[in-house]
Amino acid sequence: MLFKRHIPLLIVIGVGLLTLFGHFINNTLIQSFVDKDALQWFDIIASFAMFLGALNMLKLQVIKIIKKQKNWQYSILAVVGFAFAIFAGFFYRGANFITISGIQDENLSEVAIIIAEELNETNSFNIENKIMASHDGYEIDKLFITEGNAKLFMEKLTPYVAAAELKSKSWGAHVQTKGSLFYWMFINIITPLGATMFALLAFFVASASYRAFRIRNFEATLLLVAGIILMLGRVPIGGLIPWWAVSILIIFGIGAIVAPFIKERTILLGIVGGGIVIFIITGTLMGWNQNPPYLLSIPVIQDWIFAYPAMAGSRALMIGISLGIVATSFRIIIGLDKSFLGDK
Amino acid sequence: MNIKAVIWSGLFLVLLGLYAMGEGSIFIEGARIKFAAIILVSITLYYYIDRARSGEEIYLRTIPGLKALEEAVGRATEMGKSVLFVPGISDMDQVETITGLNLLGHVAEHTAKYETSLNVPVSKSIVMEAGRDICKESYLKAGRPDLYSDDMVHYISDEQFAYAAGVNGIMEREKPAACFYLGKFYAESLMLAETGNSIGAIQIAGTGSPSQIPFFVTACDYTLIGEEFFTASAYLSKKPELVGSIKGQDIVKLLVMVFMVLTLVLNGFFQAGWIGFDILNLY
Repeated sequence: MLFKRHIPLLIVIGVGLLTLFGHFINNTLIQSFVDKDALQWFDIIASFAMFLGALNMLKLQVIKIIKKQKNWQYSILAVVGFAFAIFAGFFYRGANFITISGIQDENLSEVAIIIAEELNETNSFNIENKIMASHDGYEIDKLFITEGNAKLFMEKLTPYVAAAELKSKSWGAHVQTKGSLFYWMFINIITPLGATMFALLAFFVASASYRAFRIRNFEATLLLVAGIILMLGRVPIGGLIPWWAVSILIIFGIGAIVAPFIKERTILLGIVGGGIVIFIITGTLMGWNQNPPYLLSIPVIQDWIFAYPAMAGSRALMIGISLGIVATSFRIIIGLDKSFLGDK
Repeated sequence: MNIKAVIWSGLFLVLLGLYAMGEGSIFIEGARIKFAAIILVSITLYYYIDRARSGEEIYLRTIPGLKALEEAVGRATEMGKSVLFVPGISDMDQVETITGLNLLGHVAEHTAKYETSLNVPVSKSIVMEAGRDICKESYLKAGRPDLYSDDMVHYISDEQFAYAAGVNGIMEREKPAACFYLGKFYAESLMLAETGNSIGAIQIAGTGSPSQIPFFVTACDYTLIGEEFFTASAYLSKKPELVGSIKGQDIVKLLVMVFMVLTLVLNGFFQAGWIGFDILNLY
């Protein structure tokens, strides 16, 4: 109980209070701990904890393959992908580059041309200048995934240089370096797969909108109308809708609101129809065809909806969420809520 | 007059006074209002927790999403299918994840009671370990430790869309009858909710991410909006100290509203030239 409950609880309470009030204490050490060190400690712990997750995933997938459970074929892909990533991260660097030195003046332009050809550059004079400016050997600005390809290129330079050395970027840095196997995997496999999943969102949004924008009640109708105005306001065609079309829409909207209070449909038709005719005639006489009013524009209405009612609702939600977070954090810091220890 | 209220108010003034005295030396300058706000909120919350502990009855309105928690597990039991619980894609440094795991404990108790299988795919290893502890405790509390297995809570991937793809795959293959999305979500929220909708599962969602709430409202049967999600653990456990903190939270919200109106009115007076004090300078 001491190690499972009391000590973790003391740590949470102590660090929680320190982080909360440390912000107000005029001490560099405490400020540094609160702003930087505590977060770095968390990142380190989370990084080590990743092994637990990876091993768990591997264990479950391998068991599925061995026991040939349902859909075990997908698990092969998972295990192969995992193994490939481990291989690219820990065993095979790639990111090979060549440094050359001891170039005679008469060979300089030839070497520059060969390098420019490899880098697909038209101007070899820049490369000549860089070679002349370098003192401890010139590092060619090209990374090779395989040593074989690097050596093939090195053979072209060997007759013209005194020394050509094949090196690799350091372990760790290689995962973010173009030319490494890991980087190739990230750019050519992981990024397109992530982009594909993200692109699916467009279809999911369309499907969700189709279900949400049905006129079931007043709120759903309001959602539909606001959604249409916002969508039109965001595309170029929204700005092309003329003032009289917007006026017709507004009068129809007013008509829809007052419709439940007017029993006689002919009176309602007269009010809406008459309203449209009077509005259009008045607007034409006032020269709105040449100089339409600012408010009878879909993008302007869209901006207003975004800036005022939508923003107000969003902020109200944020205030509620923030208070919820504050209350929950307070309960955890003073030790009332011990759910994270498995104790309800 | 409530003696405790007087004592707590006195404590608030004393702490504020101490801060003002030590400002510049022990305490940083220019953070007086922030400090006062934190102390005021803390004291308000603790005051109502204390009142709840003393036996005061506190009314909580019905939250449909939380009432439906047990019904959803029951539905899965009747259909002979599993329950899927997604605690979000963030780590334990987010309050939403902690709240989500708390709710996992309640769901796990129901699945233990009804002998329904529970599947909890997670995105972070620390969340996996915490989730396992919570599920184990819940199954023990329900008297069914034999039904618990560590593989119930399993790791998928740290990558957002890899995790979403993994969970979608679980939903398409296993077709759980009840799906819970309770935690911190980003763009993958709509993918999960739409896939759950397509398999005909009952879905209950809750998150503190305001941009994802509309997607959950559209696609899920029940959604815990905003602070409903954070009060869920207190609501379900019915512990007086937790329920008291909900009332304290509501009183703080009332104070925020009062300050907002006061600021609006006083700033209006200042703009009109009726007073020489600009309240916005305080902030």
